[in-house]
Amino acid sequence: MWKGFLYLFRKDFRLMLSSKFFLLALGSLILYSCYINFIYVGLDQHIYPVYLYDPQNKQENRSEYITVTESRETLEKLCSDNYSVGIDLSSDEPEIYMLSTGMATTDHYRKLWAEAVLNSRIDKQSEIIGTNTKEMKNRREITAEFLFFELSAVGFLGLASMLFKEKQMGVIRVHGILPVSKSAFIVSKLTLLFISDMAFTVLMTFINLGFSAGMTILPGVLIQAGILSLIMALVGFLCAVRLPDFKQFSLFYLILAIFITTPVFLAGQTDIQWSWIDYHPMYHLFTAMKSAYFGMPVYQLPYYVICTVVIILLFLLAHKTLSCEMAKEG
Amino acid sequence: MERLKYQMKNIRRDKMCILTFLLPIVVGIAIHFLSDLSLQNIGGTSFAGLKGNLSEEIVLWLEQIGTYTEYETLDALEIAINEPSTQMIGVLENGHGLHTLLSGDELEVNKIIGNTLPSLYQNRENITGAKTTLIPLKTDNSGIKSLFIAITLVTAMFMGCTFNAMNMIGEKEDGISFINQILPMSVKTYIIQKTALGFIGGFLSTLITALICIRINPMQIIPFMIIMILSAYIAALIGLYIGRHSEGLMIGLVYIKMIMIVFLAPPILVYITVSPSSPVFYLSYILPSSATFYALMDILSGQSQDLWVAIIILLSHSVLWSIVYLLVERHHRL
Repeated sequence: MWKGFLYLFRKDFRLMLSSKFFLLALGSLILYSCYINFIYVGLDQHIYPVYLYDPQNKQENRSEYITVTESRETLEKLCSDNYSVGIDLSSDEPEIYMLSTGMATTDHYRKLWAEAVLNSRIDKQSEIIGTNTKEMKNRREITAEFLFFELSAVGFLGLASMLFKEKQMGVIRVHGILPVSKSAFIVSKLTLLFISDMAFTVLMTFINLGFSAGMTILPGVLIQAGILSLIMALVGFLCAVRLPDFKQFSLFYLILAIFITTPVFLAGQTDIQWSWIDYHPMYHLFTAMKSAYFGMPVYQLPYYVICTVVIILLFLLAHKTLSCEMAKEG
Repeated sequence: MERLKYQMKNIRRDKMCILTFLLPIVVGIAIHFLSDLSLQNIGGTSFAGLKGNLSEEIVLWLEQIGTYTEYETLDALEIAINEPSTQMIGVLENGHGLHTLLSGDELEVNKIIGNTLPSLYQNRENITGAKTTLIPLKTDNSGIKSLFIAITLVTAMFMGCTFNAMNMIGEKEDGISFINQILPMSVKTYIIQKTALGFIGGFLSTLITALICIRINPMQIIPFMIIMILSAYIAALIGLYIGRHSEGLMIGLVYIKMIMIVFLAPPILVYITVSPSSPVFYLSYILPSSATFYALMDILSGQSQDLWVAIIILLSHSVLWSIVYLLVERHHRL
């Protein structure tokens, strides 16, 4: 059986090469890394700018946050972004001019901020309790996210495209009579995808986090990536064997991408609180991946037990489905 | 017309096309019904405190400028502050005022809010009492919601390319394209039919989504329609390209995925991060979706002065790409 496995493995590898699978993964890697390093890392939101119109120079000591404007028109134009705050000192009574952001609390804060800046009453004091800087946090966060999406999509699509090609060529039928076990058929594909996913993870982590930071979290990340890769590849295998053609499969993929991963992304990334998200299996995989990137273990033993059980069950199911399909093919 | 009917009939059996058609509509409905409450928290400042630590007065003051959450223990509070997906600012009261906790990875705006909160609170009473002119939003589409709506609509418009691309690739795989070659149908009719297919799909899907989730003033209906028509046309052209040049569904799907990323991500990013007068902003007009996206954001915020710029850009894109397509097509046949 072991010899047969090696042949299978080599055949699958060649199949993946010919379907430009690795090229696609490399392309994604470059695209994601460029995005992270050139754009995402620099994203920031500045404090509400304060513009001052003070023709008579009533205000003498001006805070660093104040920008002086020449006229009332300029002031109003600068404030038209619904974000900046303008202060007009031209008449007797000072006036704060701003366009609403649509949020009463934020508008109230902007007013307080403008007044504090105007009166230079801002001392800075706070206690920093975290360990990440903003840049490092951005890097960890977005790398975890991209990796999650890439692994859940690539394992799924990659395996399916391979299998559909084989189906078309009649390989499944041929396998029915070859002296190679069905497990070997599944395992060779899984192993190949697993290795390529692991390589992708390592490269993605080192390129975007740097070597030293990447090294400390890599073991945890690899475990999560491995779990995700196996689960997604098995689900992809199941669907690809079960569904008659690639078109229907891509339909399924679209549903998966939009309805399964988008809520996960929203819940994991923003302040939105949904209580039902706890019942979403992908959410836990995502949280585990993210925690691994931030170097904090969230899940304990039961999580890993459940993951292992799921992988074994999926494998058995895939095995059974493959047997059924082979029987159908004759 | 008769032939177009057959094309539509063909597409009706295609679940993929129906799904891409319905998807923006479903998202539109979701956005419409997503109560403003659940979106309220995004973008605002959030504070967190320890149970029993802050006086009622401070909590009231905090709730005027943001949302306030209370935690049972200091550990839970610190975990919440350090949680990377939130921008929470921890607030504690010590003998003579406030003391704030930050995790250090916040955006600049929240870092400064956290840093200056104690002095802001300390000086809350000696406010000069300046007169405040607050100009309300021109529409009831609040910031984050209109961003979602614009993204959905742009997606709907450019999803039009999936209709004809998928249809053409499907025909290729089923061998219908060979039959097409011997049918008494010229290449021109074929192109026109397939473009019409993508155009109608994208246009209808966008129209229904727009009807569900935006209310625009009558003055803007005509520019909006023109933008929609032009974008759907460009999308149909792209679909034609993809359909012609991809050999299998897998490759086609990858192309569509790439087109959607390239068409959606840069306009959103540029819109959020770059000022409209910088060269990068003008450079982003290389993508037709940028013009559509900026125009939609203008429509949603009730402005209309720049809409014609977007229309001119979209128009030049459609003319340019049509010519390029025809040239490529001619080259192919020779």
